[in-house]
Amino acid sequence: MYTRYVKDNLNIDTKIIWQAGVGKDYQQKVNLAIASNDLPDALVVTDTQLRQMVKSNQLADLSEVYEQYASPVLKKIIDSTDGLAMKSVTFDGKMYALPNVTAESDMQHIMWIRKDWLDKLGLKVPRNIDELEKVAKAFVEQDPDGNGKNDTIGISGPQSGGLLNADFINPNNNNYGFDPIFGAYHAYPGFWLKGADGNPTYGSIEPETKEALAKLRDLYAKGLIDPEMSIRKDAQELIKNGTSGIYFGLWWAGGYGPLADAIKNNPKANWQAYTLLDKNGEFTPHMGTPSNQYLVVRKGYKHPEAAIKMENLLLRDESKFDVSVGIGNYPLRIVFAPMDEMYVTYNAMKEVLAGTKKPEELDLPGYKLLKADAENIKKVKLEPYDKMDIQYWDPNADLGAWKRLYSTLVGIAPLMEPYKKTYSLTYSQTKTMESKLATLDKMEKETFLKIIMGAAPLDTFDQFVKDWRKQGGDDILKEVAEITQQ
Amino acid sequence: MINKGFAKHYYLMLLPGMIWLTLFSIVPMFGIVMAFQDYNPGLGILHSEWVGLENFKYMFSLNDSVTILVNTLVIAVLKIVGNLIIPLVFALLLNELRLRYLKRWIQTIVYLPHFLSWVILSGILLDIFGYTGPVNQILSVFHIKPVLFFGRADLFPALIVGSDVWKEFGFNTIIYLAALTGINPALYEAAAIDGATRFKRMLHVTLPGIVSAIVLLSVLSLGNVLNAGFEQIFNLYNPLVYSSGDIIDTWVYRTGLVNLQFSLATAMGLLKSVVSFLMITISYYLAYRFANYRIF
Amino acid sequence: MVKDNTAGSRLFDIALIVILVGIAILCILPIWYTLAVSLSNNAAASSGRVGLWPVGFNLGSYQELMGDRKFFNSFWISVQRVILGSGLNFVVILLMAYPLSKNAKELPYRNVLMWILVFTMLFNGGLIPWYMTVKSLGLINNIWALVLGNSVPVFSVILVINFFRNLPKELEEAALVDGAGPWRMMIQIFVPLAGPVIATVTLFSIVYHWNEFFNGLVLMSAADHYPLQTYIQQMVVVIDANTMTAEQIQRMSELSNRTLNAAKIFIAMIPVLVIYPFLQRFFITGITLGSVKE
Repeated sequence: MYTRYVKDNLNIDTKIIWQAGVGKDYQQKVNLAIASNDLPDALVVTDTQLRQMVKSNQLADLSEVYEQYASPVLKKIIDSTDGLAMKSVTFDGKMYALPNVTAESDMQHIMWIRKDWLDKLGLKVPRNIDELEKVAKAFVEQDPDGNGKNDTIGISGPQSGGLLNADFINPNNNNYGFDPIFGAYHAYPGFWLKGADGNPTYGSIEPETKEALAKLRDLYAKGLIDPEMSIRKDAQELIKNGTSGIYFGLWWAGGYGPLADAIKNNPKANWQAYTLLDKNGEFTPHMGTPSNQYLVVRKGYKHPEAAIKMENLLLRDESKFDVSVGIGNYPLRIVFAPMDEMYVTYNAMKEVLAGTKKPEELDLPGYKLLKADAENIKKVKLEPYDKMDIQYWDPNADLGAWKRLYSTLVGIAPLMEPYKKTYSLTYSQTKTMESKLATLDKMEKETFLKIIMGAAPLDTFDQFVKDWRKQGGDDILKEVAEITQQ
Repeated sequence: MINKGFAKHYYLMLLPGMIWLTLFSIVPMFGIVMAFQDYNPGLGILHSEWVGLENFKYMFSLNDSVTILVNTLVIAVLKIVGNLIIPLVFALLLNELRLRYLKRWIQTIVYLPHFLSWVILSGILLDIFGYTGPVNQILSVFHIKPVLFFGRADLFPALIVGSDVWKEFGFNTIIYLAALTGINPALYEAAAIDGATRFKRMLHVTLPGIVSAIVLLSVLSLGNVLNAGFEQIFNLYNPLVYSSGDIIDTWVYRTGLVNLQFSLATAMGLLKSVVSFLMITISYYLAYRFANYRIF
Repeated sequence: MVKDNTAGSRLFDIALIVILVGIAILCILPIWYTLAVSLSNNAAASSGRVGLWPVGFNLGSYQELMGDRKFFNSFWISVQRVILGSGLNFVVILLMAYPLSKNAKELPYRNVLMWILVFTMLFNGGLIPWYMTVKSLGLINNIWALVLGNSVPVFSVILVINFFRNLPKELEEAALVDGAGPWRMMIQIFVPLAGPVIATVTLFSIVYHWNEFFNGLVLMSAADHYPLQTYIQQMVVVIDANTMTAEQIQRMSELSNRTLNAAKIFIAMIPVLVIYPFLQRFFITGITLGSVKE
């Protein structure tokens, strides 16, 4: 059906050579296609794959085609990233892919907490590390779920295969990690930063990271963090079954995450979101890049503009499509959201609830779901409209809408205050990284996890810093310096 | 009486299989050269740059290459041993069971765990050995504090080998059971008449009867001496157990994720193949020299 | 079977039953659990509330998997693959194992051929050259790619060779006296005797072709050519993915649908449960008895 739409509108015959898919098997398939040079005319790839394909000279130069054919809305969204999106696809001055743009709100990691437990135990919302520790202690010791058993967990940690912290390659969307805790110490492990001496350094070897690790180690030793962090299969399980009281993640890790099932199990579970602040009361998260999907066209394909036109079409009309059709059915779809999409949505929802705006006024180009959100908000939100606790919502009226709107009104709210942003010096790999990063990364993960969980003393951190530098870290820093000097 | 005139016919019989083998196994083998190249998809196998042993040097230059190799060997060898002995013992026991109906059921049931994917099974294992899981509950009866099983590098290999043997022993059991049917029942009767007890009969009739199957499976399994089980370990490991659990395949996987390391993966594959081939060849000649027995 | 009637023997019998049944229970528990999960509702399953009994019993996951026409399409493709693949394997394994079970005097270069087989079992050029080979044979998207893809099952061939070599020489000699040629020898004498080992390798073939999904993914393009396991492995429940990036979707869907993943396992087990009992009648002792006249 969609292919017919495309044909009618653009006169392009799309033959779906492959089905879109997810998972490491699908990625293997894509890698195989790249490796055997058996490529479809256009496809969507990751950053790593993009760089490989540029290196192997397999891609068409899209610079002119983009200029000529990309719709104004598309260009506006890409421009809204202040050049970050274009940077990720430009090699030797040429544009080799169409980058996607995701909302900026996928970058800041916040804290989700059981407000009903706080209320039950008479506690205030913790806003900094010390308060967090006290609250976690109370959650563990004072039986907030009232079942007479000593089974509650303070802070959830990552699951097996999860990350303690987002890194420069995957800077966004790290749920169930400890990013806000690191951030509150101004520690940014995994990110490339400007050192005190003006030269680039790596967050993981800085003293602030050691401080944060010390605290995490302390919290773990006191039993305030899930003892099976990084080992258990599914971090969401504890949230869904009401055992955990605190977890860290994105705005969407609320409604879109475990909460729908959590409230199915316990309709009174009142999860709210807040930022975790540093000692001065400031929110200092690390930020990422808005692009992680890349639409590429194989070299030699006669109609590169077709791919761009299809994106234009999707961007313009997707909101009119039947939402029950899985997005996997839309070939070449990549996410295009203006960077400020969620802030705009948040404000708009507040206005609709307050009665100062109507859904019809919200059909803004580029903000595909805004109007639908405006139409749905009153279905799932009960009065009083200015209170966000779970009892003022009706998820069963429209679960899909509830997931999105709960995440928006609860998850985006903390991001509406001003805060200090820290970016990585680069989000791509340098040459030496290609051969050395995997080893350095393994060393880092092993060391940090052992320190936190008590399998190694805190001072192994110092040896780690030395080893990191010696086994390629210093070489990499030199390369980072070169690219950032440009 | 051996008939040499049949050779023509034998070749004819072999023909279809050999054609199939050539096309789908031998021809692709030429891709092994990728292990010696800096493979560039844009240039293909024919034109990519030749780098000789660079890829191998890189592998061995890494800090933990020895650890990874040792982990792989330890886990793989323990699995080989476990997967030879346990199914054998089980097949022998099952063979002694006289209730035919029960025997068939059990035979089918023990094969079933083979079908569980490690994705699902890892979840189950992590729960069973979790802090609040049944194993720790049993330990607490003996006043032992909860053990973080899958967080312990010292316990990890045992858990991996144990769970794998549990999952796969059904497979080799089938092979042994098939071999057991080839034993002439008259031999048992003869042994019984000579006064052999049940146990002696097993030792002197059953075991020798399937010795060729045992030897065959042992030698063939040597081909897996560097295959410690990627899917399983990938789903069960975490950084705490890297020191005993990180194997060649998981390491290649992580490296490949960050960079599409085609040549490196081929180089590792080649290394594994060479080692496996050496092991099998050596054991074949040992059996030939010392037992005058040709394994295949 | 020889029957002992000593007390020790009977005690052993009882202990045996206890041990074997115990092991069987140990094997079936996780499977039972997985079945329970597949029949529960996902909220309960992913909160860890399912034990050995379904919570919130519903057939949702099975409906999800089987409700699509594509399921039956892929099912049919898998059936074809199993029939063609196992059939071909059966024939080729026997055709190769019989001559190779002879020694070098009867079959010149026998040892060379044998080592070539072993070599191919251990060495391969990797995914990329293999894929390119299949592609250059024009088999992409063709069911024969799946049937022929993983080449000759050498391990099975070796098993059958071993079995043939252990058959008594008298058999062959008796048949030769009767004037049997090599083909008749193989088809009328050896094959019927090889019941157990043939049942074994056939079972392995069937299970392999039914469950193999990666080749299906890589050698077939669109879903309407996928064999069953490929189709269902790729089925991942995506929830409200409108503005989510591929990354977010992937992270969420990997684990979030436990009931679906559990249901997938059971569909994989079907052929074994159906066919294995049927093949078991070949695992009978003494099949060689009676065919050799002393």
